[in-house]
Amino acid sequence: MTAPSLVPGRGVLRSEWIKLRSVRSTTVMVLFATLVAVVLGVLATSSDASGAATMTAQDRAQLDPLGDSFIGLIFGELAFGVLGVLAVSTEYRTGLIRTTFSAVPRRGRVYLAKALVVGAVSLLLGTLLAFGSFVLGQAMLSPEHLEVHLGDPGVLRAVLSAGLYLFAVTMIGFGLGAILRHGAAAIAALVALLWLTYPVGRILDHLSYLPSRMLLFNIADAITRAHPATGKPALRIPSLDLAYTGLALYLVVFLALGAWRISRDA
Amino acid sequence: MIEVHELTKRYGSVTAVDRLSFAVRPGRVTGFLGPNGAGKSTTMRAILGLDTPTSGRALVDRVPYRTIDRPLRVVGSLLDAGAVHGGRSARNHLEWLAATNDLPRSRVGEVLERTGLSSVARKRVRGFSLGMRQRLGIAVALLGDPPILMFDEPVNGLDPEGIVWIRTLMRSLASEGRTVFVSSHLMSEMALTADHLIVIGRGALIADTGTADFIQSSSLNDVLVRTPRTRHLADLLTAKGARVAAEPDGGLAVTGLTTEAISEVAAAHGVEVHELARRQASLEEAYMKLTDASVQYRAKDGGR
Ligand SMILES: Nc1ncnc2c1ncn2[C@@H]1O[C@H](COP(=O)(O)OP(=O)(O)OP(=O)(O)O)[C@@H](O)[C@H]1O
Ligand SMILES: [Mg+2]
Repeated sequence: MTAPSLVPGRGVLRSEWIKLRSVRSTTVMVLFATLVAVVLGVLATSSDASGAATMTAQDRAQLDPLGDSFIGLIFGELAFGVLGVLAVSTEYRTGLIRTTFSAVPRRGRVYLAKALVVGAVSLLLGTLLAFGSFVLGQAMLSPEHLEVHLGDPGVLRAVLSAGLYLFAVTMIGFGLGAILRHGAAAIAALVALLWLTYPVGRILDHLSYLPSRMLLFNIADAITRAHPATGKPALRIPSLDLAYTGLALYLVVFLALGAWRISRDA
Repeated sequence: MIEVHELTKRYGSVTAVDRLSFAVRPGRVTGFLGPNGAGKSTTMRAILGLDTPTSGRALVDRVPYRTIDRPLRVVGSLLDAGAVHGGRSARNHLEWLAATNDLPRSRVGEVLERTGLSSVARKRVRGFSLGMRQRLGIAVALLGDPPILMFDEPVNGLDPEGIVWIRTLMRSLASEGRTVFVSSHLMSEMALTADHLIVIGRGALIADTGTADFIQSSSLNDVLVRTPRTRHLADLLTAKGARVAAEPDGGLAVTGLTTEAISEVAAAHGVEVHELARRQASLEEAYMKLTDASVQYRAKDGGR
């Protein structure tokens, strides 16, 4: 007797999609991320634009038009992460996971279907939000001719990477939700991972910059810029190759741990 | 058909289910009885492949549940009516479940109809009463039109109308030839619903018997007689073939003779009788006696 296939069919994928779209928290999180991204992005770029008249040439050179349009994503990312956490943890909180497993006993199939659906949704919304933030931010900067264009070197890659990063945070949250099975704990762990690790990295900087470079915060910084960072802070920013490798490692580790954990008794 | 073979489940040092074996056959309602903590829910989770047994196995239609590709078409179950997402509507809850097993959408409407939930199908489950949640849980169980149905304490918290509704539903499902397995800790409820009983205590099998047999064999049935001439009457009744035992308070407990026969004997010998009463233990008492040794959480003196 062989266990049913691990690969989710259309039905199981559809079931996870229905689950995701039929709860209010999904909409709330997406709206929250959008709101934060738009408001902070507009604030940052409009302050750039209003200061344009008094800028020196050096100021202009140091201005980071992309970074300022993406500033809202740094906070909006939490909403994406929470979306990932809740996709798993609510099922454990309500006991619904047993119903899910009685309908689809192959747990790996459930996990895979959930990950695919949550992943696809977050990649799509993340990319939309990244492009939206980019377009809005550049529109704010263009009257002062401070804007950059998608055709400029590195810009398209940076915008796509911002979307990719939102997807990655969602999936790390998803993995944490599966590992901890408890929403509040997983969200706390996610917050710690995203932001509280930053000072720890700073403390270790005098030994090695590697810990700092492997932090999600700095990985995000690296992949969402069009040009490599300069100056002293740049030491903490990983190279593009290291950044993408690091991001992939995070995904693999958290998703694998989550997969292992979900196979244990619910 | 559900088969459980030498099933054992331990949680650390607690043995929830202890080498339990039984079979649940189609075409009748099988009651699964046992006091709180007896291991009913654990056994049901093991049957559904939700808990991995420490040893032994559970099969549905001769295969382990986990090997079934679209299990809702084989077994419908209600374990915990509270296990729903409060923010989701009843219809959406059923729709995602239908999708998992590639069931036609039309089934959702059908089970909503059968459980009387059509009018609240688009309402969030959060606002549902316990009885409505219980009905939704039953709608889930019926979704795949399965030949096997399993319900864990489905009447818990229901009003009399709801209890009658569930009782009727179980009986009609069984009469359609399905296997119906339903747990309860109330003997009186099962006596009205079940054709067959599986009784467990502390995880082990106590009885696997027809409901009628169970009632017959385990009921206390005797006649209490009180008379000033206890010993004399005892001898007379024994001579008539009765079994007579002395009660601590001086009465006689007589089995094997009707009240009429005892009265005749007494009258014929001029023995005065002060009390003559038929005593019949309720089913509940019989059941409690049976499971007495296995009750885990006995209330201390004065309740708790
Ligand atoms: N996940 C678990 N972890 C540890 N112990 C458990 C677990 N589930 C059940 N038990 C224990 O196993 C025993 C059987 O519990 P179970 O819930 O199966 O009983 P039950 O017959 O369904 O009782 P009730 O009538 O109260 O629902 C109990 O002693 C319980 O405390
Ligand atoms: Mg129980």
